[in-house]
Amino acid sequence: MTKIKPTISRRSFLKSSAIGAGALAAPAIVSTRVLASSGELNFMGWAGYPVLTEKAFPAFEAATGIKVKFTEVPDQDTMFAQGKVAIEAGGVDMAEPTIDRWGGWNSNGLLQPWDASKLAMDNYLPGLADGSAGERSRSGDQLFYVPSNWGTEALVANAEAAKLSNPPSLGDLFSADNQVVLRPHSALAAMGRWLDAQGKLPRPWLDGYSDMAAMTQLWDIALAEAIKAKGNVVQWWSGENEANAGFTANGAVLGLCWDSTGFNLRNDGYKYIAPVEGAFAWHQGFVLMKNAVNAEQAHELAKWVSTAEGAALWATAFSSNPVGKGAGDLLSPDVAAYYAGTFNDEALSKLWWWPEQSADFIAKRGEYADKYKAA
Amino acid sequence: MQDLLRRYGTLLTAVFVILTAFWLLALVVLPNFTMLESSFRPYLPVTEIGGPKDVYSFGNYLKFFANSTDTSFLGMTFQMPIHMKIFFLTVWYSAIVTLVTFLITYPLAYYLAKVVNPRTLPSLLLLILIPLWVSEALRAFAWYIILTLNGPLNAVLVGIGILDKPVRWQQGVVTPYDAIMIGLVYTYLFFMLFPIYNAIQSLDTNQIEAAEDLGSPWWRTHLRVILPHAKPGIASGCVMVFMLSAGSLLVPVQLGSPRSLWFTQTIQQWMLEAQDWNTGAAYSLLFLLLCIVFVFAVMRIFKVNLSDIAK
Repeated sequence: MTKIKPTISRRSFLKSSAIGAGALAAPAIVSTRVLASSGELNFMGWAGYPVLTEKAFPAFEAATGIKVKFTEVPDQDTMFAQGKVAIEAGGVDMAEPTIDRWGGWNSNGLLQPWDASKLAMDNYLPGLADGSAGERSRSGDQLFYVPSNWGTEALVANAEAAKLSNPPSLGDLFSADNQVVLRPHSALAAMGRWLDAQGKLPRPWLDGYSDMAAMTQLWDIALAEAIKAKGNVVQWWSGENEANAGFTANGAVLGLCWDSTGFNLRNDGYKYIAPVEGAFAWHQGFVLMKNAVNAEQAHELAKWVSTAEGAALWATAFSSNPVGKGAGDLLSPDVAAYYAGTFNDEALSKLWWWPEQSADFIAKRGEYADKYKAA
Repeated sequence: MQDLLRRYGTLLTAVFVILTAFWLLALVVLPNFTMLESSFRPYLPVTEIGGPKDVYSFGNYLKFFANSTDTSFLGMTFQMPIHMKIFFLTVWYSAIVTLVTFLITYPLAYYLAKVVNPRTLPSLLLLILIPLWVSEALRAFAWYIILTLNGPLNAVLVGIGILDKPVRWQQGVVTPYDAIMIGLVYTYLFFMLFPIYNAIQSLDTNQIEAAEDLGSPWWRTHLRVILPHAKPGIASGCVMVFMLSAGSLLVPVQLGSPRSLWFTQTIQQWMLEAQDWNTGAAYSLLFLLLCIVFVFAVMRIFKVNLSDIAK
């Protein structure tokens, strides 16, 4: 097979045009470098969360005097691609990927480690920057990633009708007593973790995330078990609306859903419960670019987001959970009560962080989801 | 071309030609060619695009034939690749949708074209067209609401005592694809109705009367006179309904049961969830190709020519 390089392809076009845009912007970047005082920070983060620019950045500026220049990107892939442009062209000091993605940034030479002495590592809630999450934030003994907010996927249960074991378990999702609403690939992971917790797997479930041979071995088992229990599934969900309708319109009594689903249904007789195996959790946070011009200011922002005020605003912006101690009290009382009702310190320490899932893994995972759905 | 020039002059003709060329090249050829090209390339991390691994191969297409799973169809059980199975199910249920749509629309089209008083025809057509003013998404969602467990259909049927307890219509009573088929028939009814209506309308009513005068029963008149005349309309209606149904994403996503899977959902999964646009492109092209082959095969069986449909 010979390598054929087309004169123009979608990707090369995108790449060159992105570089072109960077080059066009370069004079502006240079001039700000020359003119600006030290009170500026070039931050690349998620588009579509207006509270960041409306509330969080002004509050940060009021607290520290640092002005945030915000570059909005719609998704992780774009963020990564822009990061690669920025390592040549400059213009980005820090970015906000998820915990499972910064490894790729680092292996591409885009990052420098955080200086923990300039942060306040004690500010973080237990389990978020220490423990397994802490290990996954480091390469060697250098800290490359600090959290900004997090969210979960756990049991949404009808308080009256769901038949839960004591304590509630992921296994309740596969009990014929409960009509459930599930997301196919999450359900398979839940089945795997439930089997793992009972010691019914030949090797740890986590092995599947790093080794594709282990993945097929383990997911074959989980798939077979999940198909046996499929009779009680009344609806699949892929987004918020479907999950909600699964409960309200299609009469499901239990589901494995996002925290937002549980929150939206909290006044309709549904509870959000962390299973004994630990809730699924995701994590998003800050990385520092290797060529950051405003590294000091980047540390300031990361530190501010670990304070009660910053963490609360960041969590509000993403409708997710805060990383800093005391931030829960600053959220609206409704939200604070809701999260406190689900996650005590024990549930927090048991959070099961989604491991890194490679492109191969996700493709394979999709095939398993297809088999599960079509069975 | 000469005709065009003489009638509209140089300027307008140039505008026509440029616009048509733009439409063909920029909106038809280029996107499809991009998809074709990317379908032969592997999905790679951004860093490796253009690198030594970025070579053309049939790898993405071969995924369609991988991953066997147990399949049972009409009582037979055998092994089949999972995505091929989903493809066949999609074609099978789309064909049923097409047939059901035909059975519903043919009498209706005949009634509109030959029976109804011409003065009430516009009002009837308007009544038929009104649902088309509502977007497809909303119509699918409306059916979702109707068919859900706590929905109005169950409420009415239980309320008047026909059912003892609510039925999960969306899960399917006959097949897991019931709700999808209902949604598709409802959505694409008009694409069958109007071609058949046009075809029957162009039939000289004298021919029907002649058949009746000669003692033909009503069913033979339809079989020998009206149906053959309407064949091009039926064929183009069938092709449209079949291709639209097989290619529908909205309705299967909205109305699917936990045991149904439409091929478009598989493509969507490659594109969005796996972020593997290359395999998604390969699956899209494969799907298009296989559906075209299927349509041509059926046209051959029913002895319909492409030119009939174009009429």
